[in-house]
Amino acid sequence: MILEVVGLEAGYGPATVLHGVDLSVSEGEGVVVLGPNGHGKSTLLRTISGILTPRAGSLQFAGEEISAWRPDQIASAGLVHIPQGDALFGEMTVHDNLLMGSFVKAAWLERHERIERVYELLPQLKNRHNLVASNLSGGERRMLAIGRGLMTNAKLLMIDEPSLGLAPLLIEQVYEQIQSIKESGMAILLADENADHISGLADRVLLLESGLFVREGPADALLADEALLAAYLG
Amino acid sequence: MTTSDSISPRAADLIDRAAAPWRSPKWGAISSLGVFALILPAVLLRFGAGTFMVHLLISFFLWSVVAQSWNLVLAVSGIYSFAQIALFAVGGWVTGVLSMSFGWNPWLSLALAPIVTTVAALIIGLPSLRLRGVYMVLLTLAFHELLRNYVTTGPRVISGGGYGLIGVPRLDPGPLSGFSHLVPSYYLALIFFTVATFAIWWVFQSPIGVAFAALRDSEGYAVGRGVDQFRIKLFLFGFSAFFTGLAGGLMTHYLGSISQSIFAFSVLINVLAMIVIGGWGSFGGPIVGTALLLGLQEGLRDLSDFRTLVLGLALTSVAVLAPSGLWPIVRDGFRDFLDESADVEAESEGGRALLADIGDGSGNDSSPQSATPD
Amino acid sequence: MRLFWLPTSDETDMSQLLQAAWGGVLAGSVYGLMAIGLTLIWGAVRLLNLAHGALYVAGAYAAWIVIDLGMPLAVGIPAAVIAAGALGYGMHATIIRPMLGRPGWDSATIIATVGVAIALQAAILLVFGPRVKQIPAVIPGSTVISSVRISYQGLVIVLVAVVSLAALFFYLRSSRQGMAIRAISQHMDAAALMGVPVQRTYALVMVISAGLAGLAGVLLSSVLFLSPTSGFTPMIIALLVTIFGGLGSVKGTIVAAYLIGILESSVQVYLGGAWALPALFIFIIFMLIVRPSGLFGVPEARRL
Repeated sequence: MILEVVGLEAGYGPATVLHGVDLSVSEGEGVVVLGPNGHGKSTLLRTISGILTPRAGSLQFAGEEISAWRPDQIASAGLVHIPQGDALFGEMTVHDNLLMGSFVKAAWLERHERIERVYELLPQLKNRHNLVASNLSGGERRMLAIGRGLMTNAKLLMIDEPSLGLAPLLIEQVYEQIQSIKESGMAILLADENADHISGLADRVLLLESGLFVREGPADALLADEALLAAYLG
Repeated sequence: MTTSDSISPRAADLIDRAAAPWRSPKWGAISSLGVFALILPAVLLRFGAGTFMVHLLISFFLWSVVAQSWNLVLAVSGIYSFAQIALFAVGGWVTGVLSMSFGWNPWLSLALAPIVTTVAALIIGLPSLRLRGVYMVLLTLAFHELLRNYVTTGPRVISGGGYGLIGVPRLDPGPLSGFSHLVPSYYLALIFFTVATFAIWWVFQSPIGVAFAALRDSEGYAVGRGVDQFRIKLFLFGFSAFFTGLAGGLMTHYLGSISQSIFAFSVLINVLAMIVIGGWGSFGGPIVGTALLLGLQEGLRDLSDFRTLVLGLALTSVAVLAPSGLWPIVRDGFRDFLDESADVEAESEGGRALLADIGDGSGNDSSPQSATPD
Repeated sequence: MRLFWLPTSDETDMSQLLQAAWGGVLAGSVYGLMAIGLTLIWGAVRLLNLAHGALYVAGAYAAWIVIDLGMPLAVGIPAAVIAAGALGYGMHATIIRPMLGRPGWDSATIIATVGVAIALQAAILLVFGPRVKQIPAVIPGSTVISSVRISYQGLVIVLVAVVSLAALFFYLRSSRQGMAIRAISQHMDAAALMGVPVQRTYALVMVISAGLAGLAGVLLSSVLFLSPTSGFTPMIIALLVTIFGGLGSVKGTIVAAYLIGILESSVQVYLGGAWALPALFIFIIFMLIVRPSGLFGVPEARRL
């Protein structure tokens, strides 16, 4: 087990969003959290990556309790979060954005090899490497965010709604890339609003509603149950 | 960071009461204070040290208006203006030069002082108030420096050859001419203090004041709400300049002089400390702060360099450790003294807790803690 | 027929022009050091550090102590940088770290840094007294180039400043830490998610910024005089430069520093010293009306 979440509670100000969530991800596994907007998917990922401090529960990553760690410590340990809306460094070039992915010492030493690999995997970034990130198109920005995630020494990649705001054609591409990342052996925890594109990368699916997991099961079984998905995701 | 964008009307009401207990003035307490203030000189002047006490009270009345109106600008409306002393000096110089060098009736020149000061403020404000706060810091500091330069090196009528204006005529006390000049000055300062404080209180409890108190930390939110901040800021800047200029004029006639030393950085800092230590952004804070700082100034007169050191450290400590200053302590003490119903107390406690929660949950617009969308 | 009226170029015109240019480069170099520190800390932490002038003075006095002990200025300069940098670290520990993320950050930090400025100045006044001091030149003497006197110290200042600015520029552009500073300025959360330690980076920025102020202090005090309050005017001009260059833009700040230096120096040469500051202010006010986001037009959300 690489990530083990037990009884996690978190929220903002007076509002509690997550009411005791259990979740685990094994090495190389693809886990997808499905749920409608505003039910706590982003809060879950933000709490795991340390941006939000959990109010209760335990977070274990690679055998260590990380619930009191700072975001940068968690990222250095290899738990990497690609947040919603890309969170790029807008005034830096594509190349520099990617390099920042390798900020952690160990990754920095291998940054040249890593960047070559990312350019190979996402060739459209290579063509744009000297462009400032804020001038990229929506699809390119998403690719850059994913590419930057790959520049890290991640053991587990958490991706928040990769399809948000993208044109259908680009969505296909993005999911294909994520799938190939997963096939290379990386564990993936993905949060999504709909089940349309995840069949290729999900081993397990969890349904999140009002800050609680209401269903959990192997991807093929759950994704086949269209009535269930329709009821939850609308 | 997410913002808790909607709160229930009840919560809003609680917050209002917790944040602004002065919105329901205690007329009884105020009128007894007023009577006390009216008879005070009659009592004090019977004692040897009383003259000095009356002088100190006059200083308190005038400086507290300067502090209050700066508080309105700086802390309530979030205009980071450091032109307060410069505006005070404009008022002082206008009436000083007109009455001394041009022989105007002091009352007439005094009447012109706040008007010219307001115009000066509007001239500074028009180009700068649309811009970000930090620009305001720079432009107003610049105004301060330029004015200091001008009154030091400018024409002799203004600079007095570098010594400032000495021998500014006193205001004709009219029916009170039988007394020493302290008595009419005291009552004039008291009237000015009362009127100005009331006017500032009026702004505090007006929709403008409440809106600004709620919005001062989130310009983006205010813009999103369609508040035309520029016009309100311009109004408040001019409004506070009016009283500041009048205070400067009154001070000049009271002391009979005004010099370049008013521009010393320590004066500016002293007034800033009145606001910060008293209670940044609260109605009563600057008043409490002025009393405290004037008292300290007299008490520690011999230790002037140490005083500046302590003042600097106090400013930083209050800003870091106790951002709301002394006012909450004084206010709560006052409330216990007046023995108000525990009901109100409990409710405002609830409101404060709510405020704390909201403060916790909402990201400050310009704080680096909140992520900037790019 | 002459389309343009040109003054007959005689000796004085030429030397005035050179005088203005040299003065501008000299002033611009020091303003650049001062302003880049303000820009860095503003860009990264959104802190308007009104104690920057006090750090400048503190650095200069540290150098003065070292020189007073009989050591050369070559030791005094690093002493100034280290002393100011240490104070910068102290400001991070006592102001930035505890206040970060609180509401009212803008106003509270302005007050807090004003407090630091006052306290530092008062402390220096208590220790060293109000008397004006001067830092000796590294290399005394001067040379005359077409009737413009150029001091060797001036050349040293320009050299040190240009080297420091260039080093900083490359540090920010391509080193791991330097890139992290830029990243954190642009998107704090994202930088943290890449493993950048936020507080430690802020401390680093504060130390660099303060160290540069100290460097500017010791350099400029060898040309001007040094007193507990002599940091105020350089700070105001550095603020002008920062705003003119577009708050938070490193490149803009460097360009603006030299432009303002040359503008100031030209006004001094052609109109007289008393006009320098007023002319700068009028210029900047005009510019703020025409182009509110500064020379390199960095809109609100963008930084460094």
